[in-house]
Amino acid sequence: MKRTLSRRDFLNWAGAVGGSTAVYRAAMGIGLMPVAARATQPLLTASGKSKKVLILGAGISGLTSAYELSKHGYEVQVLEASFRAGGRNMTVRHGSRIDETGYPQACNFDDDPDLYFNCGPARIPGHHVNLLGYCKELEVELEPFVNDNRNAWVQDDAMFGGKPIRAREYLNDTRGFVAELMAKTIRKDTLTGPMTADDWDRLREYLRYFGELDPQFKYIGTSRSGLAMHDYAAPEVLKAPLSPSELLKSKFMLIMSFGETDDQAAMMMEPVGGMDQVVAGFMRKVGHLVQLESQVQRIQVLPRGVEVTYRRSGEYLTTRADYVLNCIPMHLLAGIEHNFPAEYSSGFTAIPRGKLFKIGFQMKERFWEREGIYGGISWTLQDIQQIWYPAHGIHRKKGVVLGAYTFSPEAGEKFARLPPAERFKLAIAQGAKIHPDYAKHVETGVSVAWHQMNHMLGCAAQWEEPLFKQWFKTLQAPVGSHYLIGDQVSYHPGWQEGAIASAHHALADIDARERAGGTQVVHS
Amino acid sequence: MRRLFAALVVIFALVMVDSAKAGNPFDYCLLCHGSNANGNVGIRAPKLSGVEPWYIARQLENFAAGARGALADDAAGHEMAPVALRLKQEGMLDAAVKFIGSLESGRPHATMQGDTAQGKKLYEACAACHGARGEGNAALQSPALAARSDWYLATQLTNYKTGLRGADERDSYGAQMRSIAATLADDQAIADVIAYINTLK
Repeated sequence: MKRTLSRRDFLNWAGAVGGSTAVYRAAMGIGLMPVAARATQPLLTASGKSKKVLILGAGISGLTSAYELSKHGYEVQVLEASFRAGGRNMTVRHGSRIDETGYPQACNFDDDPDLYFNCGPARIPGHHVNLLGYCKELEVELEPFVNDNRNAWVQDDAMFGGKPIRAREYLNDTRGFVAELMAKTIRKDTLTGPMTADDWDRLREYLRYFGELDPQFKYIGTSRSGLAMHDYAAPEVLKAPLSPSELLKSKFMLIMSFGETDDQAAMMMEPVGGMDQVVAGFMRKVGHLVQLESQVQRIQVLPRGVEVTYRRSGEYLTTRADYVLNCIPMHLLAGIEHNFPAEYSSGFTAIPRGKLFKIGFQMKERFWEREGIYGGISWTLQDIQQIWYPAHGIHRKKGVVLGAYTFSPEAGEKFARLPPAERFKLAIAQGAKIHPDYAKHVETGVSVAWHQMNHMLGCAAQWEEPLFKQWFKTLQAPVGSHYLIGDQVSYHPGWQEGAIASAHHALADIDARERAGGTQVVHS
Repeated sequence: MRRLFAALVVIFALVMVDSAKAGNPFDYCLLCHGSNANGNVGIRAPKLSGVEPWYIARQLENFAAGARGALADDAAGHEMAPVALRLKQEGMLDAAVKFIGSLESGRPHATMQGDTAQGKKLYEACAACHGARGEGNAALQSPALAARSDWYLATQLTNYKTGLRGADERDSYGAQMRSIAATLADDQAIADVIAYINTLK
């Protein structure tokens, strides 16, 4: 049963939602944008004294807002529906509760600081300067995250009879063959565009290095693909190049450049002890302002301010504020009573919700390290799609491996339909095609189907170009004193940096309004 | 390391404190089904408030027993089935039905359009059981159709037609609906009859 993979899928996988990235690149090209990333951290200049801001949702955008506003004297109240803060920034470890609709789970990992699993965001690229800035400010310790490992495996039933090969072999043998083909077919007299006949030699020389070709421009193998053995007391023996026609049978070519993309290329980072250390950092500052298990039921935009009714312990409570910053997922907001204009609220159901799915397995032995794999990702075109190896806790006895991370909604739904034990069984059977002894190492697992997780019921909003055009500005703009925030109203959904950008955007707007005289005080 | 430990302690403390405070477990119903369980088309969760308690109870039983929502293509049913099973296993099914009954039912927004004149003709087949005004008939175990999530009624008619619902032998009422739904020729016919139901009060 083979799923086909479209270019669209690939773009989504790579976390690069086509349109915005294309626009950004074009802008860079004509010199509109600074090349170095710059923090968007708002300088709130107006005093927030006597102004109240109600924040709906204690995810990254809500916590960012609470932190910045409380620093500037605003009265802040955060309502969070879940029993925990953080939203999709969620790390599970010994004793954690996984609050999935229908299939609540407990995490039975050993009680050990290295045995944790990041269910949501798990990596931070070096240009996510806002998030990195908060990590620094909030003293969240970071360590390197290994995203791309040439020693990891690539497995596809379509090539080599399903036998896994090392990523370095796939990448470099493909490159070698492509370089050879180009060097042999490119003709001096057909060079066009910016190239002239004079460039022919230089281009061929480039191809020689690009693919590591021999003096006759033939690809005969390269140490980039790994040696046949690493016995350094004996002469080097290259691996024989893999069959190009087998390599081309695999759609892995669509994801082979995953580790080259803007957000996925080295060097990346992760917080020591789990991504939720970011949440813990914010909570150290604003935890006292966050009210958990408070589920919003009604939002009324008033001529001045906003009134919100929520349920806590089965009771309805109502509160008012000068401003509301709302990061409730739009697909849930659609079910909450409100008085928004239809041309605004129709957008809540227009953007499809993401359905990413992850599994984490505690392995009784770090068997992958015996295969020369230290961190990084093995890729497969089976449902599980990826296996991640922890870069922390190296050479310790146990480790937590990511046993599935699906990007396609179909694969996510397929896993989500199953009870957890069945999910694990499926993931183990697929993982065994990469690591034959996989099953015997698995001690316990956790699974997170984001579209069935309580209080989220979806992963990143699935924006695409026509939707951006039709809805983004409308949803980003305030209705009265009500602002939607969260990665859902950013051009970088699915990333904490996008969530922070949305918060900063709203805060800058509030600050401008306050400097211009502000709203009347309406809170009760 | 000490800082990490301190942070972990903070997190665990937060989790422990708040898990201990038992909120109302049925607030989870509102998470999907919306404020006052008036429905949320955004995640395909239908309006429950105002729906007859005996009908909700029967559907929860069907979901729990695997007589509904068990087929691979019924994505929404699949989300409900394990919830119903847990309610049943934990002896909370009746309390859940009662909770839904306690909510204030609002009139749902119409989301579908169709030819109401055509729909009125088609509705004649429905009226015998569901009442001329879509008010339902408890004696026949036929739920009201007026003031429900219209997109949901349409989905169910489609599910009956395709066998995603009502094909399980334990669901005898569903089997009845399958034969009726089969008389609706196509999506347009479904839209027309739903548009007419939207006019019923």
